[in-house]
Amino acid sequence: MDLFSNLALGLSTALQFNNLLFCLAGVIIGTAIGVLPGIGPIPTVALLLPFTFGLEPTSAFILLAGIFYGAQYGGSTTAILVNVPGETSATVTCLDGYQMARQGRAGPALAIAAISSFYAGTIATIVMCLLSLPLSALALKFTAVEYFSLLVLGLLAAVVLAHGSVMKALSMVLLGLLLGLVGIDVSSGAPRMTFGIADLSDGLDFVPVAMGMFGLGEIMANLERSDERRVVSQKIRDLIPSWTDLKAAFPAMTRGTAIGCILGVLPGGGAALPPFTAYAIEKKVARDASQFGKGDIRGVAGPEAANNAGAQTSFIPLLTLGIPANALMALMIGALMMHGIQPGPQIMTEQPQLVWGVIASMWTGNLMLLVINLPLIGIWVSMLKVPYRLMFPAIALLCCVGTYAIANSVFNIWLMLGSAVIGYFFIKVGAEPAPLLLGLVLGPQLEENFRRAMLLSDGDFAVFVQRPISAVLLGVAALLILLLMSPTVFRKRKEALAE
Amino acid sequence: MTRPMIRLAFAAAMATAFLGASAQAQNFSHAVRIVVPYAPGGTSDILARLIAPKLQAAVGQPVVVENKPGASGNLGADAVAKAAKDGHTLLLLDVGTLALAPSVFPGLTFNVEKDLAPVGMIMFAPYVLAVAPAANIKSVKDLIDYSKANPGKLAVANSGIGGFNHVTPVRISKALGLQWKHVPYKGGAAATRAVVAGESMAIFNGATATLPFVTNGQLVGLAVSGPERLKNAPNLPTFTEAGFDAGDAGTWQGLMTTAGSPPELVARLNAEMKKILAEPDIAKKIAEQGGTVKLGPPEEFKKWFTDSIATWGKVVKDSGIKGE
Amino acid sequence: MSDGEPQAGQRLNYQDLLFGLFMLAVAFGMTVATWKLRIGTAANMGPGYMPRAIAVGIAGFGIYFVVKSLLSQFKAVEPPQPRAVFGIVASVAVFGVLAPTMGLFLATLATVVVAGFASRETRFVENLLFGGAMAIGTVLLFIKGLSLPVPAWPW
Repeated sequence: MDLFSNLALGLSTALQFNNLLFCLAGVIIGTAIGVLPGIGPIPTVALLLPFTFGLEPTSAFILLAGIFYGAQYGGSTTAILVNVPGETSATVTCLDGYQMARQGRAGPALAIAAISSFYAGTIATIVMCLLSLPLSALALKFTAVEYFSLLVLGLLAAVVLAHGSVMKALSMVLLGLLLGLVGIDVSSGAPRMTFGIADLSDGLDFVPVAMGMFGLGEIMANLERSDERRVVSQKIRDLIPSWTDLKAAFPAMTRGTAIGCILGVLPGGGAALPPFTAYAIEKKVARDASQFGKGDIRGVAGPEAANNAGAQTSFIPLLTLGIPANALMALMIGALMMHGIQPGPQIMTEQPQLVWGVIASMWTGNLMLLVINLPLIGIWVSMLKVPYRLMFPAIALLCCVGTYAIANSVFNIWLMLGSAVIGYFFIKVGAEPAPLLLGLVLGPQLEENFRRAMLLSDGDFAVFVQRPISAVLLGVAALLILLLMSPTVFRKRKEALAE
Repeated sequence: MTRPMIRLAFAAAMATAFLGASAQAQNFSHAVRIVVPYAPGGTSDILARLIAPKLQAAVGQPVVVENKPGASGNLGADAVAKAAKDGHTLLLLDVGTLALAPSVFPGLTFNVEKDLAPVGMIMFAPYVLAVAPAANIKSVKDLIDYSKANPGKLAVANSGIGGFNHVTPVRISKALGLQWKHVPYKGGAAATRAVVAGESMAIFNGATATLPFVTNGQLVGLAVSGPERLKNAPNLPTFTEAGFDAGDAGTWQGLMTTAGSPPELVARLNAEMKKILAEPDIAKKIAEQGGTVKLGPPEEFKKWFTDSIATWGKVVKDSGIKGE
Repeated sequence: MSDGEPQAGQRLNYQDLLFGLFMLAVAFGMTVATWKLRIGTAANMGPGYMPRAIAVGIAGFGIYFVVKSLLSQFKAVEPPQPRAVFGIVASVAVFGVLAPTMGLFLATLATVVVAGFASRETRFVENLLFGGAMAIGTVLLFIKGLSLPVPAWPW
């Protein structure tokens, strides 16, 4: 059986003392940078790359991979505690995680995030051992046409993120797409809406926009509320999730893991699609979806599991095909080359120890994350006891330093400030920012793939329905629209009758 | 999310480098930056990261690599063009693509010849022409026959508008009177992936990145650029043997600095580079990448650069490629 | 409050009206900013294709919300509280101005102190001390710990 020999080889590598040590170092560094908003795994990996020259390639890779998924995990902490998403994926965790914290349930939220991540990590490790090859074949089935349809579906699903009006959510997606256009156009090199500002030529950084709209916008709105309606109740109800919580969260974790495993393999989507999709699905399958956005534990468990599973399976195209699925994987390729390993499709046969060692280390790493983080929950939660009059200046400061730190860029601070004001306006008019952020992240890829698909098909729009995978995805999207529209229609009728 | 890393990397390198920096530097008064105008992980980036520690030891000042990707490398080049004219800001990039920039991008914010000064050509690595196995094309002849039978159908992937691996197939197709469809991707890895997946059909790309896919059967190699066949792929004919006129197509990695920098510093950099590139470990890495070291005096690089701007500029002009 | 107080016979949903007008303004601004970009054809799109398509979509939603607001029940927008908004905006702006010029320590301190003005509950001395502690912590964490290339002091 391949699975067992692969796993055995992987575990024997990952369990070597020095590799355990590097894995531990990786996940600790990763958690730390994940908790601090702004500094993400990419800069950290780039920073540590030269220091890994002296290591065995396998150890180096285990360390760097640990940073990556450690950071994915750490980001959820800040999102839950103070509503500041430091990463694309954490935006979703903000929705229900922060609401749980406001209800005094920060402990269970953090614990569920850790448990979901571990659970997803364990399953994803097994999936990687069993299904790496079929999954990489699936990744190759996705050409521009399929990817465009997937992105359309993802963006439509994003309207589920908001609990208000469907039309408003769709508007927000469009506004996000607009923001995503800013910068130099990949296909033609033309600057768009950069207004001659050099800082805009690379497009808008996600982090300042997200921190402005979520973190700072929330503070402004909070300060307007009367004391008793305000934020984090200082009475912490419980630290660990109850049995009911676990029972509610478990199916969500499982679904999230499955979604993450599949979407993580696809190029580009990487960090954004899995958690957003998982959230949308949880909200759709739930018998009682009324609590989503108000502190539903499934809204934390599903996306967190999807996020972690996706982070792991995004290694598959790199390890099996030698093709990076995202910017971080491109960096990993660089790391391999510097170690004299030629990345490419032959890597799995020529470097089995590296490939399976890294895969197995993801499981040991996730176990370490769980063991390290569960005891930390008490400390994190106790930070919420700080009175809000001190808490809000600290959060404002954290946003500023984090934004400034990512690129040492003052421009990003002004960008965050602008986003905060617009975010505040959105709160005032009852529009929620999460769909906008997804639009911002996916917009550039949507355009790129759309234009490429049209170029390849000589401008024939029919390709999107002729290709089977694409047709199915668009069909689901159409169905989703119908589903979304119908309740509004019904509600309208009810309102009309009430009048 | 690429820019952030860079500053951080800069920071760390500064921090570590300061510890090791000694006061003995006479020529270089402060930290030297090597700007790589692409995301980390590419050929230029790896080269820069290999060279940086050696250069640091040689000049006695911290040498840091800063990735500044965007706009086919023009963003990073622009930053170097506008840096202080003190020879402390270097640019390591695909100079073939840079030579195309003035022809492709009329709105370029700097002058590639007047604002940048060559330090030395570092290496040359040939292109491999490879096609998707699904295309059922086994030789250059098949490719030409297919293109003639299906004008405008053959989709050739490139890693960005106006790059060397975009203009190379344009030049070849024009010379042979073939109609190809040029499809831009975001970088070489994405373009390679697209051909492996069969979304596009052919690609001209660096030998290092492409040959493993050929060896593995995920791509079919047809020919290589450069003056002679590759040692590790002797069955692939050269472009000339295959009947392609592609000039000196391939990856040319060169080191430049801000124009107007002190000539003695440029000379010193050139001399240090000569020593560094001769070191066995660096030479080995470059050979592993299928590359050959091409370091000559700055003037030689200058001449190559000026000639390339003219010859390749003409190709761009004749074919009507235009960035906006 | 957020639901507004329905008044007999009065229409106009201010939330939707403002949002709709905002969308229209964005669509207009975007069209102006991308006017010169080539649109191209479906087979060979120029850089102006998507911006135009999105601008049309945004304008469409804008019109939808304006019309809808005129036809639906009264809904007020909660009046903004200048204190909260200006306090936070000013604190971030202060950071943006001071961090590159006066160093991280003073920027941090000033940000916390200015942010304090956003709330009536702030106790000045406590906030000042807290700001000082945060400033020390920030410098230690980001400059000593993470070696960010950011000046800590004005000199």
